[in-house]
Amino acid sequence: MGIYELINFYVIPGLVLGSIYALGAVGITLVFGILRFAHLAHGDLATFGAFTALAVVATTGVNPWIALPVAMVICAALAVGIDKVFYDYLSERPKIITVMASLGIALMLRSLIQVIWGVDTETYTRGIVRPDNYWGFRIRDRELYTLLAMFAITGALWLFLQKTKWGKAMRAMSDNPDLALLSGVDNRLTTMLTWAIVGALCAASGFFLGLNTELKSMMGWTMLLPMFAAAILGGVGRVEGAVLGGLVVGVAEELSVLVLPSEYKAAMAFAILIVILLVRPTGLLKGKLL
Amino acid sequence: MKLAKILMAGALATTALTTAAMADVKVGLLGGISGPIAAMSPSMIAASKLAIAQVNAQGGVLGGQKLEAILGDSACNPQNGVDAATKLVNVEQIVGLIGPHCSGAVLAVANSVTIPAGVALITPSGTSPEITGLDDGDKVFRTVPSDDYQGRALARTLLAQGTKKVAVAYLNNDYGSGLAGAFKAEFTSKGGEVAGYAAHEEGKASYRSNLAELASGGADTLVIFDYGDGTGLTILRQSLENGFFENFVGGDGMKSEAIIKELGAENLTTFTSSSPVGEASDSNAKFTKAFTEAGGSADAIFATTSYDAAFLMALGVEIAGGDKAKVAAAIASASNGEGEKVEAGEWKKALELIKAGKAIDYQGASGSLDFNAKGDVPGSYALFKVDGDSFSVKTTMK
Repeated sequence: MGIYELINFYVIPGLVLGSIYALGAVGITLVFGILRFAHLAHGDLATFGAFTALAVVATTGVNPWIALPVAMVICAALAVGIDKVFYDYLSERPKIITVMASLGIALMLRSLIQVIWGVDTETYTRGIVRPDNYWGFRIRDRELYTLLAMFAITGALWLFLQKTKWGKAMRAMSDNPDLALLSGVDNRLTTMLTWAIVGALCAASGFFLGLNTELKSMMGWTMLLPMFAAAILGGVGRVEGAVLGGLVVGVAEELSVLVLPSEYKAAMAFAILIVILLVRPTGLLKGKLL
Repeated sequence: MKLAKILMAGALATTALTTAAMADVKVGLLGGISGPIAAMSPSMIAASKLAIAQVNAQGGVLGGQKLEAILGDSACNPQNGVDAATKLVNVEQIVGLIGPHCSGAVLAVANSVTIPAGVALITPSGTSPEITGLDDGDKVFRTVPSDDYQGRALARTLLAQGTKKVAVAYLNNDYGSGLAGAFKAEFTSKGGEVAGYAAHEEGKASYRSNLAELASGGADTLVIFDYGDGTGLTILRQSLENGFFENFVGGDGMKSEAIIKELGAENLTTFTSSSPVGEASDSNAKFTKAFTEAGGSADAIFATTSYDAAFLMALGVEIAGGDKAKVAAAIASASNGEGEKVEAGEWKKALELIKAGKAIDYQGASGSLDFNAKGDVPGSYALFKVDGDSFSVKTTMK
């Protein structure tokens, strides 16, 4: 097998897939780090974002890329709303209750999606797009944009967390919520801000998944495991770790076909998750211990 | 005193239950409403409901009671299928189950719900060869032929067309692996070469690496045994976009209008798909007329078999006198090639025959049916090509 074939059919799809995982994993890592629970509704929130973008495209006929920010805003509002109605109410209870509640939210969201948009497979644009040839590398525009947009979004988030007052408040709450509260950080507002960011990230990951494949009501749920694997691989609470983890999981899944029977591709994320928890529980970039 | 009270309450509850049961006779209708065959299931459910509506319009069952179909969603997977079937059997107390629609769901539901509960099951679309071998105490039927036959017929048809070398991508479930196994055995034994043969999991975003592996065998035809609303669509799209293969052949699961809608007919000129077809018959014409009037498309995949499954279930319930334990035997007797012929929609005639104690031989919309000892039926297939926004027959398959 030539180097071009390896890159075109294994590495590039892996990176695109990894970008989608990364966007989801960043959200998971934020919830894990700041609010300290595993958010199981993450995948279905992503599905909701993808379908919201579809609704914008279908009703106004605009380019899907214009629908993305709209979907991100709507999804952010939805995430804040879910927190206000459900998670906030449970915040004083043991965290496992919130985790289970998020599973319930996942089922509710999925049913809502099925009620509103039905259960048929949908796409943003009809037909097929053949890749362009760049000196032997076969890349589609949308794949390039997916990768660039992922770096742009996560880069902006990283800057926000490092440089702004609110970003610092979020990090403070991640380190020690009680101390942050004593230092004058408004935990309630910080939580809402976190959910808004998480919702927007979910919408973006769902959108890119839909853009690169199809939209199905189960699409987000099936992405949940690789996203969690990516978040834990990168180190919980570390944005740049989640990006790295996402890309590693994506590329590893695609490359696994070379050595494993293809039906075991889906088990790759499991394998990575187990190995990292055994060997280096803090993740590649030294995140929180779970 | 206390005991008497409890007994009385129990007696009251029983009466209440019996009165409720008097109003309706419930059968389960378990479809793949969500999941990878979502686009196919509305026509299938509509066809089954048409049969039930005709039964109710022509006198109902068991002396004027209404037959009621309780809908469930199997999502085309074993877990959801078992959940939904358990609810139908235990909570709704159905006397028979029409469905589920997917092979994996059929096997799981039969093994862990309907066979232990002694409830008869007729699937209109569970095609896996595995279903034939179920240790079912003669409680499991299907109105669609086994994929053992479809896989072999497809292999012979491809060889007759001059396609000698293919790669096979199949979904890693009971449907995909059953069909792929039958296809491969026949294709290689008749002199064809399978230059790539790999299963894939559902729901991944990229199958390009899988396709690259399959294409490395040098075949220019890809045979896909998957669902056209699910990963089959993703695989077909990525294969077309990257030019891994030139020709594409699908099993019955790929004959979904979703692929035409999403990929466009202009990109699918080299795509063909096999599918069971109803034999032209009076019964088929009657069904087509009634279903068209009800707003359905009689050409929709599994519409005829879904209608037949529901009609046979009604016959079974009537002949068994509503006794759940006898429904399965009654279904077997209602289409075994012996007795007075009853065609699609002729419920009144069936009622009179049953009343007179005569044997019935139901001639289905999909064919003569005639269950064998395993609850399987013979069938016929055709290879379809994309024609405008729909499929049309390219050649019949032998």
